[in-house]
Amino acid sequence: MTATALPQPNFFQAKKGIASWIFTLDHKRIGLLYLFSIGTFFIVAAGLGVLMRLELLNPGRDLMDPQTYNQVFTLHGVIMIFLFIIPSIPAVFGNFALPLLLGTDDVAFPKLNLLSWWLYIIGAFFALGSLVYGEGGADTGWTFYAPYSVKTGTNVTPTVLAAFILGFSSILTGLNFIVTIHRLRTPGMGFNQMPLFVWSLYATAWIQLLATPIIGITLLMIVAERVFGIGLFDPSIGGDPILYQHLFWIYSHPAVYIMALPAMGIVSEIIPTFAQRTIFGYKAIAYSSMAIAFVGYFVWGHHMFTSGMSGPAGFIFSILTFFVAIPTAIKVFNWVATLYKGSINIQVPLLFALAFIFNFMIGGFTGLVLGSLAADVHVHDTYFVVGHFHYVMFGGAVFAFFGALHYWFPKIWGKMYHKATANVAFVLLFVGFNVTYFPMLILGLQGMPRRYYDYLPEFHGLNMVSTFGSWIMASGLIIMIVNLFISWKNGAKAPDNPWNGITLEWQTSSPPPLHNFDKMPELPEGGPYNYPDAISHQEKN
Amino acid sequence: MDHFVLPNSGHNFDAKSSKMGMWLFLYTELLLFGGLFLVYMLYRYANQDAFLLASFELNVWMGTINTLVLLTSSMTIAMSITALQKGNNKLAINLAWATIFAALVFLVIKYFEWGAKFDHGYFPGMDHYNELPHGERLYFYLYFFMTGLHGLHVIVGGIFIAVVIKRIKSGRVNKNRISLLENSGLYWHLVDLIWIYLFPLFYLIH
Amino acid sequence: MDNKEKNAGQTAEHEHISSYAEHFGTWIALCVLTLMTVFISVFGADLGSLTVATAMLIATVKALAVALYFMHLKYEPKIYRAWIIVVMALFVFFLTMVIIDYITR
Repeated sequence: MTATALPQPNFFQAKKGIASWIFTLDHKRIGLLYLFSIGTFFIVAAGLGVLMRLELLNPGRDLMDPQTYNQVFTLHGVIMIFLFIIPSIPAVFGNFALPLLLGTDDVAFPKLNLLSWWLYIIGAFFALGSLVYGEGGADTGWTFYAPYSVKTGTNVTPTVLAAFILGFSSILTGLNFIVTIHRLRTPGMGFNQMPLFVWSLYATAWIQLLATPIIGITLLMIVAERVFGIGLFDPSIGGDPILYQHLFWIYSHPAVYIMALPAMGIVSEIIPTFAQRTIFGYKAIAYSSMAIAFVGYFVWGHHMFTSGMSGPAGFIFSILTFFVAIPTAIKVFNWVATLYKGSINIQVPLLFALAFIFNFMIGGFTGLVLGSLAADVHVHDTYFVVGHFHYVMFGGAVFAFFGALHYWFPKIWGKMYHKATANVAFVLLFVGFNVTYFPMLILGLQGMPRRYYDYLPEFHGLNMVSTFGSWIMASGLIIMIVNLFISWKNGAKAPDNPWNGITLEWQTSSPPPLHNFDKMPELPEGGPYNYPDAISHQEKN
Repeated sequence: MDHFVLPNSGHNFDAKSSKMGMWLFLYTELLLFGGLFLVYMLYRYANQDAFLLASFELNVWMGTINTLVLLTSSMTIAMSITALQKGNNKLAINLAWATIFAALVFLVIKYFEWGAKFDHGYFPGMDHYNELPHGERLYFYLYFFMTGLHGLHVIVGGIFIAVVIKRIKSGRVNKNRISLLENSGLYWHLVDLIWIYLFPLFYLIH
Repeated sequence: MDNKEKNAGQTAEHEHISSYAEHFGTWIALCVLTLMTVFISVFGADLGSLTVATAMLIATVKALAVALYFMHLKYEPKIYRAWIIVVMALFVFFLTMVIIDYITR
């Protein structure tokens, strides 16, 4: 601290009142607005998930009729995908941490950032508004496949418009981040001195920017088709429904990497901090993020192997799909190598990061089964797929989200969460997660189809296990959220740098002042993860 | 309140950031229309004869005049930027008005074109439309969808330029702070770029 | 990348100012190309199935002229041109795969 710098009020104290929050231009406040809105939708959709598992506890009708079940899984999917997981890490922690990590005071376009959040809220209203009138919420699944999405009497139009608006919000966030990363790095920080979370946000932002418009226009076509009663995917005028699937997955496959890449970035932050060791293969991790973003554009067809797409096209897509495994594996090897001989400090964020690696590996390997043309035909539209994408999305992205929440919790609020309780919550979540979703992989291989409210009696046992798992997971979730809330209000005061991290956000106070830094942040010598202790440690050996 | 300000503050005005942001936005616009071009290409490939027949219903001369109108408007807005860069605010404003005028001419001609199609019942859902063969129905659906979306962009671009004119007058956009005019120009050129492809794809099938 | 430059304050001094003549010349070229493509199509210059190709070629030349001169892309940093090539390449890949699927279906 220089002698001249007066202690600035932190960003919570700087202004008061609800208007100072919902019209704020401060990236930290916008990040928190996202955290609370996204968190709310996550809890709602998680509740719906628990309800579905409850319905599937026993064969036959327990809780809801088939139509309700269809609407519930659609709503679960739409909320989880469009309202939670696509914005989750970039919008919450990207917004909060990106300018701090770059050593600047805000994103490049603060007003655009606020507009993104408002678009998000408007989109959310559209998505939930579809529930309350007419035939109720959409029953198409989150993919809105034509021609069913055009023919069904449920309120598909507002739901589709919601996805369109949320896409716009996502584009603006991505645009903002790309410009921020290009223009607002602290003097002396080149691209190769950026923290890896920034790299992953950069790769993500390019996907948000270049993939989202395709689904935007596709959803507009669906809306037009519903409004005019005829349209471009309507076979009765010569339209091609498979074309809809192409256009949908041209976005939605890269969107998988919008969810996964920032999660990988979080893991790349957490692991060197808690291993107190330079990240192994900095450039390999950074460039593999770009490689995943790039290759992600070329593989969408593996969602369509059984759609009626041609054999040769399926063959090409299947081969291309396997290329994604290479940069992903590079990351995993580098994370593990970073831990090797590190002075590991086992804390909750690190546990979540390790759980990410474990879950994501299972998700990745089952992904290879699905990416292979021949195997996919057998397990397509079974619970194997459901298990697979929950391992990637929930076990991967959401665990990283929770990890980031615990990692930056002391930075955001200046308080420390209750560690023992957080450990309990982690164990329940991790165990509950695997008990819930691993049986689904087996059920899928046994042939249980997805998206039905009922199943044959032979699948009863594993479905019961899975439902029990969902209860363990839900209890872990509740404990985690309650713990964080109580710690936010009454937690012990946390130091500015509780984890001994050396990325720039740890150089400012917790919570940070409104303008982030009261003095010029100092770049660590020799790269963003060059831990001084680690260097001497290596020299000794 | 005095506080330490970082040299790389996000609250500083930065012309380069502003231009980069606009270009990134243009990429998304390109791919937004790209999705439609993709649909067009596939359906044209599948219905070549029908697309040819249907295209004879369009008026090539109106299309050509509209192309020339848009190209001229692109020139005037580009010259408007040059004028403002040279500090000639008056000329810049006049050239921007010329661009808006061209936008209106374009929309009026489009109105007559669409009107003629409506009179003959070519709009999706109308009686005559429903009697057309498959490929021609796809053609007219795409025609209305794509030129309609493009027309919407013409309107948005015109409003954008009008806002910029107001700001040049109030001095908020000036020789040293030209980003907003440049960005409105970039947006306008994009509108022109899209039309450059729409024109041969719908009017000049041969 | 160029923080020093940015810290100097205004960036206007680096801005390339295109001349009126350059814009006018571009406009003339664009008009000529437009009339050419109309002429080829309407008065049936007999190019057979090549007419689509020529129309798209001329459109692309026109698009390049607009992008490079009207939109100043020629005077922007290289990365802008690199990005636009990536965008176009993605679009071409999307189109190619969808067409391959359709042809071989």
